[in-house]
Amino acid sequence: MASKEILRVSDLCVDLFTQRSVIRPVDGVSYSVAAGETLAIVGESGSGKTVLNFAPLGLMPTGVNVDLSGSILFNDTELVGIAEPALRKLRGGSIGTIFQDPMSALNPARTIGRQIAEVSELHMGLSSSQAESRALDLLKLVRMSDPDARLKQYPHELSGGLRQRVMIAIAVAAEPQLLIADEPTTALDVTVQAQIIALLKDLQKRLNMAIVLITHDMGVVAGIASRVAVMYAGRVAEYGPVGDVLVEPRHPYTMGLIDAIPRADDAPGSLFRGLPGAPPILGAPIPGCAFAPRCHAAIESCHITRPALVSTVQPLVSAACPIINKHNHGGAYVQH
Amino acid sequence: MLTLVSRRLRNSLVLLMLATLLCFTLVVSAPGNIAVLIAELRTPKATFADIHKIELELGLDQPIVTRYSHWLTGALQGNLGISYKTGEDIGPALSSRLPITATLVAGGATFAMLFSFVLGFAGALWPGRFADVATRTIALLGASMPSFFVGALLIYGLAVQLRLLPTFGSEGLSSWILPWITIGLLPAAVLSRVVRVGLEEAMSRPFALTAVAKGLTRRTILVRHALPNIAPTYINALGAQTGAMVVGAVVVEPLFALKGVADLFLSGVLFRDFMVVQACLLVFISFFVVLNLLVDIGMMFTDPKLRRQGS
Repeated sequence: MASKEILRVSDLCVDLFTQRSVIRPVDGVSYSVAAGETLAIVGESGSGKTVLNFAPLGLMPTGVNVDLSGSILFNDTELVGIAEPALRKLRGGSIGTIFQDPMSALNPARTIGRQIAEVSELHMGLSSSQAESRALDLLKLVRMSDPDARLKQYPHELSGGLRQRVMIAIAVAAEPQLLIADEPTTALDVTVQAQIIALLKDLQKRLNMAIVLITHDMGVVAGIASRVAVMYAGRVAEYGPVGDVLVEPRHPYTMGLIDAIPRADDAPGSLFRGLPGAPPILGAPIPGCAFAPRCHAAIESCHITRPALVSTVQPLVSAACPIINKHNHGGAYVQH
Repeated sequence: MLTLVSRRLRNSLVLLMLATLLCFTLVVSAPGNIAVLIAELRTPKATFADIHKIELELGLDQPIVTRYSHWLTGALQGNLGISYKTGEDIGPALSSRLPITATLVAGGATFAMLFSFVLGFAGALWPGRFADVATRTIALLGASMPSFFVGALLIYGLAVQLRLLPTFGSEGLSSWILPWITIGLLPAAVLSRVVRVGLEEAMSRPFALTAVAKGLTRRTILVRHALPNIAPTYINALGAQTGAMVVGAVVVEPLFALKGVADLFLSGVLFRDFMVVQACLLVFISFFVVLNLLVDIGMMFTDPKLRRQGS
């Protein structure tokens, strides 16, 4: 991991204002991404992992006002407080985006070819015929069968997996340095999921692009990511190399998540393991650790002061839990 | 594509026959007797014998089915019959009036399209701003005022008070402006809402967010991504509104002293001259049939799902 850092997020908070409410779905998050690496951001629905990535890029639904604080450095450009025209140049140019649902993310009234070509026209200054031939190359790059015919087809004529390939072709059309993939495999069949992950890995190698992968699928994380950030209620609970975090989790939430994955040696008919309780409702600020009410190891101080994300005994891994770290390997919770 | 059009045309012919039969029956069974009116025109003190003589002359004693089949045979040969009132051939009278109604409706539709695109698009580009509020206000006013009132208002304001435009006649473009606005304002108001609401709905769909992620400007997204998605809805609404304009012509033509088909139709109704009425209805129904066909073809061209089915 000697390559240069292209994204550094420091103490980022996102406040969302709708007509009725104010919420803080992202609360003091920090991480960094190096060129060509993959960072997975893991968390359950509502943990803020999508807002964290999309709010700074201006990719929020209309009617939602966003207030950012903290810092996001992308190649030495500060994205917090950046002017819309400058941000627009980054979107689709140096930063590509893949959305969760390829069924609705493509325009039903335009051909595949035009939807891919317009990105190169905009960011690479290609003429429409040049962009058209580049669109063909991109379809070959994402390994579409019969790419010539696909160019003239409409989204409704393609399957979900093929549409996600088209989305990927759109996202990498301007050869971005950073690709943000929001649950790119969630809406797809399991067999197609593996193909899409393989494709992303291949593209990453060819284009030397960094990937921020938002997911709740630990299998996907293990398959593609080099580092992982586990999010809970808008905060990072644990952050470090995938090999360390998945094998030897140090935060009770990460332990619970990994323990909840069904195992081959589970007795037939046994119940699924899960975390007791439910995630907190965003709205009122949480003074202490957000996970404390569901945590087996929580003590009184957990409810009062917010634990900082600090290095553990394994220096590459940080966890926001003073209790477990104090006892070093808190192995009492999970038996592997 | 061609098979669909030919299939549609074949269905349309059947529809045309049924529609004319229905109209014929309705017109004939309406109260009032043309023979009485004609007899009174000829001699002030007409007797029953006079009236009966006229009924025989016109074939009014025949049963409805016979009269309809007689009319239909003529119509299929291009002979629309003779006006009971004037005794003239209806065909030539109709064809001299057709261009006037066609100009009125086509001009009104063009006005409605221009108006709705400019206002609807401006409203979607700057939501909540002046253009949007103005659009909504004009659309509300336009949709709430009946065309005879709009026409009277326009005549009073622009022609009588300001003396900018003529109120009647058909000399050049200027005499058409008031009729076009009068007949086109309601459709323009409805269609501008179709554009405004349609664009807004399209902009809230996930593919619009994809377009934002591509780095496109809002204006480009509206034109390239949202507009193609409202095209089928718009064409459908435009078809319905153009159809409604034929009805509007019945009001607008007399208002501006335009001697069009709708004016002929109105005088036919007032005099129970049902040969004239029937001929006009034939024109109107044919117009609706062609209009529906055009709408279907237009929707096929703009909706990729329909296009693949049609070919």
